[in-house]
Amino acid sequence: MTTRLKQTDGQRKLRDVEIVMKTSMAGKSRRPISAEPGRPRARLAPLVALALLAGCDGRQSVLAPAGADARVLDSLFWVMLTGAVILWLLVNGLFFYVMRINRGAMSRRFADGLIIGGGVIFPTVVLGALLAWGLSIMPDQRAPGEGLTLRVTGEQWWWRVEYWPEGADTPIVAANEIRLPAGQRSEILLNAGRVIHSFWIPALGGKMDMFPGRETRMSLKPERAGNWRGQCAEFCGASHALMAFEVVAMPPDDFDSWLQAQAAPATPPGDAAAQRGARIFAREGCGACHAVRGTEARGAVGPDLTHVGSRLSLGAGTLGTTLEDFETWIAHTGAIKPEVEMPGYDHLTTADLADLAQYLKGLE
Amino acid sequence: MKRVLQTLAALAVLAGLAGGAVVGLGLYNVSARVGHLQGVSWVLHTTFRNSVRLRAARPAEMPDLSDPALIELGARHYDTACRSCHAAPGEAQSATMAAMVPAPPPIGQAVQGWKPYQLHWIVANGIKMSGMPPWPAQREDDVWPVVAFLSSVQQGMEGADYGTLTRLPDEEAPLAYCLGCHGDGGLAQVPPLNGQGAAYLEMALQAYRGGTRASGIMAQAAREVPPETMGDLARWFAAQPVAPIPPQDMPADLVERGRALVHADTGDPDVPACRACHGPDRSERSAFFPNLAGLPAPYLRTQLGLWRDGRRGGGPQAGLMRKAARHLDDSDIAALVAYYASLPAETGQ
Repeated sequence: MTTRLKQTDGQRKLRDVEIVMKTSMAGKSRRPISAEPGRPRARLAPLVALALLAGCDGRQSVLAPAGADARVLDSLFWVMLTGAVILWLLVNGLFFYVMRINRGAMSRRFADGLIIGGGVIFPTVVLGALLAWGLSIMPDQRAPGEGLTLRVTGEQWWWRVEYWPEGADTPIVAANEIRLPAGQRSEILLNAGRVIHSFWIPALGGKMDMFPGRETRMSLKPERAGNWRGQCAEFCGASHALMAFEVVAMPPDDFDSWLQAQAAPATPPGDAAAQRGARIFAREGCGACHAVRGTEARGAVGPDLTHVGSRLSLGAGTLGTTLEDFETWIAHTGAIKPEVEMPGYDHLTTADLADLAQYLKGLE
Repeated sequence: MKRVLQTLAALAVLAGLAGGAVVGLGLYNVSARVGHLQGVSWVLHTTFRNSVRLRAARPAEMPDLSDPALIELGARHYDTACRSCHAAPGEAQSATMAAMVPAPPPIGQAVQGWKPYQLHWIVANGIKMSGMPPWPAQREDDVWPVVAFLSSVQQGMEGADYGTLTRLPDEEAPLAYCLGCHGDGGLAQVPPLNGQGAAYLEMALQAYRGGTRASGIMAQAAREVPPETMGDLARWFAAQPVAPIPPQDMPADLVERGRALVHADTGDPDVPACRACHGPDRSERSAFFPNLAGLPAPYLRTQLGLWRDGRRGGGPQAGLMRKAARHLDDSDIAALVAYYASLPAETGQ
């Protein structure tokens, strides 16, 4: 009894779907498959579509290429996608043809031809061609650099960055931000501290894993000046999702003067608040982990802070860089970034935190 | 069969009622004067001895129990924490203690027949229902000084030796008590205090008293001094000149590696530059961070190990050091200890 009821139910549903399909295919109805008007799904659909589309034009999107390597990947993606759509239509068209339009038996000769031609020769040729093309563009992703070399080390959860201009014997140390000269190919050497990370700037190129004890390399060539976002792309612990970085491509001349400024020691604190902040920085032992070149702070555990005031984010792409952000970060590191190495300095007074923020923000 | 079961059930109910009556109506006589029934003392004592033998495991490594500094520290702790029950070597127990049930054995008798690690187990764990308390801290490595002292008692320490070992310097109480261990350059595991700032010392005393910094010996000691005197004690020690102790002799290669780590010359991302908080030669000094220069190597080694293992507490800033020490390995600790121990001590203020 129940079974029969269910069957009828199912049949009715099938029929409904068929009706909807027919009406929509005929182009007479713009109603969605769900027949009831105003269902939440129907109203959400445009929103979802908008959100998805917004992802295509972001600062962190493979679909908005701004680098030579990303452009190659982008064309690879579109060729593959277009090919896949065409093949899908062909295969399903064939199905439709043999099941709905021409249901009769086909000749043995035609069937054999279809299987050998469409099932063996055609895929072999298409896949072979795609493979050859794919392999041929792979070396482009690892083309040698044109002068500047960056050495990036993935730490938990931040980025140690060294700039080695051509012929340099000591690096210019920075952190949590990648700056590149636009229009030039820069060499990037990748390492990792304790666990595996992956370095990825979707707008500029492909990603490359970073391993403790084994150097990997890649190169990037931004096509124009601009600002993008990179992200660790290999799960690396509690705060993996908060391990990002800002990427800035600059006109070569601007880049050179920026790099020169980065190479200089820290600016001495200006006003009274910043001077108090500098003393608090020394008193609280911040220099045990952080280096501020030109002072006694020489720690190598955390990011170099010599020019932290000129960076675009705090906590590896986690916070902005207002005075308030500095205070929040220093006092509540663990709450912002779970399991982070830096201890929270919530025992400092509000006045001390404000002075410290003033000092750090002034390190431009 | 059914009758047997019924009888057993009735007996069980009766036994339950009888037990309930003993507890609920106070039928059992808890008088220590009446004492135990014949044989019960033997059962309890034998259970105790066998239980300790079963549970006390020989540790992989033990400190040198013949180290005079360890013996003295153990003796001084014994003097305030244990002597009232077990009496000093060669001393008669007080009549009251001798009347306890069970009576705590005089120390010379109590230590007989036990191996050092079994004594360690007894002091660390205490004995249930005997009046012997467990070690008053979540930490057992600082039981060894007491074991070192007890081993000396086993080897026949005389009352006169004990008197010399535990004599207090000629100062007013409670200062004399503190100086017993912390005076004259300390006692290996005990640091001298006159190289530290007053705020740090007072914070440490409060942490010991409140239990946020674990140490069975200092938990006892911090309650021996009246809380209102802690500030004065801390200021007195901080104001003392640094004792002219000759710098400790340490292997040169270790000292050099330690120096490089302390000054962040190695670029080792696992070791924060100790110097930023603990000196030497820093431009600003927090009142809450200790100076490490010239501290006794055994004390430094123990404390760094505790920090690294996440078992060291302290004041509100303890979280900083717990994070700083978590990636140290044994060779880092050896190098850091050698370097700081080799330095001349700094002044407190």
